[in-house]
Amino acid sequence: MLRMNHLSKVYRTHLIETHALRDFSIHVREGEFVAVTGPSGSGKTTFLNIAGLLETFSGGEFFLDGVDVRGLDDNARSRLRNAKLGFIFQGFNLIPDLNLFDNVDVPLRYRGFNAAERKRRIEESLTRVGLASRMKHYPSELSGGQQQRVAIARALAGSPRLLLADEPTGNLDSLMARGVMELLEEINRQGTTIIMVTHDPELAARAQRNVHVMDGQVTDLDDEPRLRQPQEAAPARREATATGVTA
Amino acid sequence: MEIRPILSALMRSKVAMILIGLQVALTLAIVCNALFIIGQRLDRMHRPSGMNEADTFMVSSTGFGQNFDAFATLKADLALLRGIPGVADVTPANSVPMSEGGWSTGLNLQPRQRTSSADTALYLVDDHALDTFGFKLVAGRGFKPEEAAEVNFGDRLQPASIIVTRALADKLFPGGDAVGKQVYMDEDPPTSTIVGVIERAQQPWMSSSSVEMSTLVPAFMPYGKSTRYLVRTEPGRRDAVMKDVEQKLAEANHGRIVGRLRTIETVRAEAYAGDRAMAVILGGVIVALLLITALGIVGMASFWVAQRTKQIGTRRALGATRGDILRYFMTENFVITTLGLAAGALLTYAFNYWLITHYQAQRLPLAYLGGGVLALWLLGQIAVFGPATRASRVPPAVATRSV
Amino acid sequence: MSAPNPTPSRGPQPGLSLIAYYLQLGWRSLRRNPVLTALMVIGIGLGIAASMTTLTVLHLTGADPIPWKSDRLHYVQLDNWSAEQPARDDGSPPDQVTYRDAMALMSARKADKQAAMFKLSLPIQPENRELKPFQALGRVTYADFFAMFEPPFQFGAPWNRDQDEGHARVVVLTRALNEKLFGGQDSTGRSLRMNDVDYTIVGVLDEWKLRFRYYDVTNGAFADPDEFFMPLTTAVDLKQRSTGNNSCWQSPGDGWEAYLNSDCVWLQMWVQLDTPARLAEYRDFLNSYVSEQKKLGRFPRPLNNRLLDVNQWIVDQRVVSRDMEVQTGLAFAFLAVCLVNTIGLLLAKFTRKAGEIGLRRALGASRADVFRQFLVESGVVGLSGGVLGLGLTALGLVAVRALYSEYRSVAQLDWTMVLTTIALAVVSAVLAGLYPTWRACRVQPAAQLKV
Repeated sequence: MLRMNHLSKVYRTHLIETHALRDFSIHVREGEFVAVTGPSGSGKTTFLNIAGLLETFSGGEFFLDGVDVRGLDDNARSRLRNAKLGFIFQGFNLIPDLNLFDNVDVPLRYRGFNAAERKRRIEESLTRVGLASRMKHYPSELSGGQQQRVAIARALAGSPRLLLADEPTGNLDSLMARGVMELLEEINRQGTTIIMVTHDPELAARAQRNVHVMDGQVTDLDDEPRLRQPQEAAPARREATATGVTA
Repeated sequence: MEIRPILSALMRSKVAMILIGLQVALTLAIVCNALFIIGQRLDRMHRPSGMNEADTFMVSSTGFGQNFDAFATLKADLALLRGIPGVADVTPANSVPMSEGGWSTGLNLQPRQRTSSADTALYLVDDHALDTFGFKLVAGRGFKPEEAAEVNFGDRLQPASIIVTRALADKLFPGGDAVGKQVYMDEDPPTSTIVGVIERAQQPWMSSSSVEMSTLVPAFMPYGKSTRYLVRTEPGRRDAVMKDVEQKLAEANHGRIVGRLRTIETVRAEAYAGDRAMAVILGGVIVALLLITALGIVGMASFWVAQRTKQIGTRRALGATRGDILRYFMTENFVITTLGLAAGALLTYAFNYWLITHYQAQRLPLAYLGGGVLALWLLGQIAVFGPATRASRVPPAVATRSV
Repeated sequence: MSAPNPTPSRGPQPGLSLIAYYLQLGWRSLRRNPVLTALMVIGIGLGIAASMTTLTVLHLTGADPIPWKSDRLHYVQLDNWSAEQPARDDGSPPDQVTYRDAMALMSARKADKQAAMFKLSLPIQPENRELKPFQALGRVTYADFFAMFEPPFQFGAPWNRDQDEGHARVVVLTRALNEKLFGGQDSTGRSLRMNDVDYTIVGVLDEWKLRFRYYDVTNGAFADPDEFFMPLTTAVDLKQRSTGNNSCWQSPGDGWEAYLNSDCVWLQMWVQLDTPARLAEYRDFLNSYVSEQKKLGRFPRPLNNRLLDVNQWIVDQRVVSRDMEVQTGLAFAFLAVCLVNTIGLLLAKFTRKAGEIGLRRALGASRADVFRQFLVESGVVGLSGGVLGLGLTALGLVAVRALYSEYRSVAQLDWTMVLTTIALAVVSAVLAGLYPTWRACRVQPAAQLKV
């Protein structure tokens, strides 16, 4: 599904060169639920950006669902992103001026589906996250957990091959976090590959496989898929953070 | 593209939309009406006077002293002027078209008529008038040398023969057979016979409602001790001949002041100075206004782009190409502009109505509105192109940044 | 941070020091977004300049030319026109009077002061042989003219009423003509030859700052200025015809005497009436005069006399042209666009500062503090726009003077207009800033603090 070999990423300003990723290799198979962990500044966000085709890389190889990503231009990468990837962000990144229906509609518009197909997919994916009844509501009228569910619906609507989640519960309290996590696990069971970036070891523990990133390198690469242990009674202990939406 | 979601997103931030829309609406209303006024002024300024304006100039002579003989001077001056090399022809003329000063009178078809049949400007000239002015004879004949009589200023004008413009001839004699007909220049006989009809000779007053109604009268009639001459030179020699004329007239007689040398081109420029100034000022207002509106759109669009950076990144992450983002902002501008223009169309006609009721303006033709709408659509798209391009360059990785 | 405000913290006027602090903040904030600030300042500047340029011309043209007595000076109009049609389409009486009526009113002396007048251009034959003879524009009138319109004298004095009656050959020169003829020396007592007649110079005017010639609007309020003044009785004696407008509704007949007795109008008639009672009396007098004339077979139209004062006459004669009014209307619409533009840009700017506002609120700033701070910032924008607008207004007036030569005397900036410009700019910007400021105040202290 996703294979990176000896990938490197260098940020250059006119004064300094920063190696965000060095000789980074990873292989994620179809149907896996992989957690990428590491302290802040370790390069896990850079990995996510490159995996999500949001950034280019400086050296090495990267195959996404069999497609060699090297040398693809911006438009081709946009199309690939749209067709094969789904994103879930820490800050939900819903568009505040659009209602739920229109928010889920955003990637479908770029996909070029016709109106009936879009409607079907939007309703289906909102139903899947349990928010079909609130289609005409605006994000500000929802709780954080509900907003993240909408973001998940938006990610799922285009039937992605790979779901990329960036600290998906980072802005949620524990109760909501658990609900979102269960939803992701449910989605994974239904066959969607998921890569989740998090700095929370408890959360990572719920994934099938953990990849630890340190100083831009993969330091703990467990190549063998581990069968997931059902661990219903292990809620992540997290301090509740203030909820609110950044404008 | 995706107009409905853009529109519903805009409805969530009405104030910004109203501000840009209002600006577009006001701009449309001002630009359309200002353009219309400019168009009317240009039309007015391009009305033909009927005379040769390129090779002609006026010169006046004012005598002083008890011994000054105005008639003798007039005759001597005409002979002198006609002999100057480069002078094509000369006529005495109390006034010329566009000079804003002159004489007018009513013409009657019956004696003691209660209201006159037509109002006309009077040009007091001699038999060289048609050739000097360059008036085009369309019926009858020009004046004969013996027809120009000496008249003391203040005495009644009783010309046996007159020449009228076609507009005046048609008004007096709609049958088109004016030549040979009699008219009364006063309440009482004698009558004057129309001997010729010229195509066009504007009155001196540019705002006159009967600007095409003029009459040529053959008469030598100094205004006190003042006379004016119209001189036509050979093509291209006007300015040189003008200096020559001034010098020779002054030398020929020291008992008078030679002055007021003005080319007819100057006369025209002065007559229309107000119209030209209005057109220039309104043109300036239009340019400044379009500039302000364009800058306003650039400013607001830049702000929106900055405010929605995260949103743009998210859209990019969800698969929007750069072109999609560019089109989004261009379409958004188009939607706002269109709403503004719809309101602006109403405002345009409200403004036009105010001008009609207060300043006797005319109804604004739809073509001006159409032109204004197109121009503002284009302006909006050009103005938003920069910010929209910047938006399209927002990297998709912005979506994963935490702030 | 640069040096803080030197006002001591325990100063007696904390309000003032806060305003200074806000000014400082506003200035810094504006410098932080130079492009947005420049857009706002240019917008306000252009709008202010357009409206102030037209307003200056309008204000100076329409302003009372002689405010201390404009309500006492009245222009006489008598309707001696034809029974068939009115003198003007709106039915108002002719804008000048006939010679015989002017003479009748002059000799009746029913007003506190009275002056009939007309325009006359005469050839001047200078003593100084180096100067060629030239035409000069004059005003032919009565001694009362000087007491009524109050031109300042540099040398000598006006002629007197006896000289009016004696048809004296006297003349008053303007300062400009005196400069030209006598190099600016006191020329009173010397003689001036005009059209072969010698006149004694009795007075020389000082610089007479007339924005326009309101006493003879008929011949163009903005036409070339008068250069000399002489008694009307003398000019008529010498059979000098007016070089101004002359209108007749019927043929005057042949010769000078017929012309003087005709119904042709070519003189302006002004009277000074010092009290409302005197005005009422004079109205009655005019009515009875016209009634008597009707008995003689003149004045075939219904009684239609008018006695407008200076300002009414200026309005009636449209000294402020329609074009000027339309331009002013457009200029204010233009200012409106500029203000809408500024509201939008201020909104953009203040919205961006939501974080800063939240922080200030959390640190103890009251809603009113935030309101004042942002209003001061709008005011700073307005002040900058006003200064720019003032410069552009000066340029605009240069353009007006170039385009309309006749407005040279009125297209000038004066102190009132400079202050009005700045005030208009600041008030406009503050008004434009009200809504954005109000929006800024609504920011909740906590909402913006979460990172």
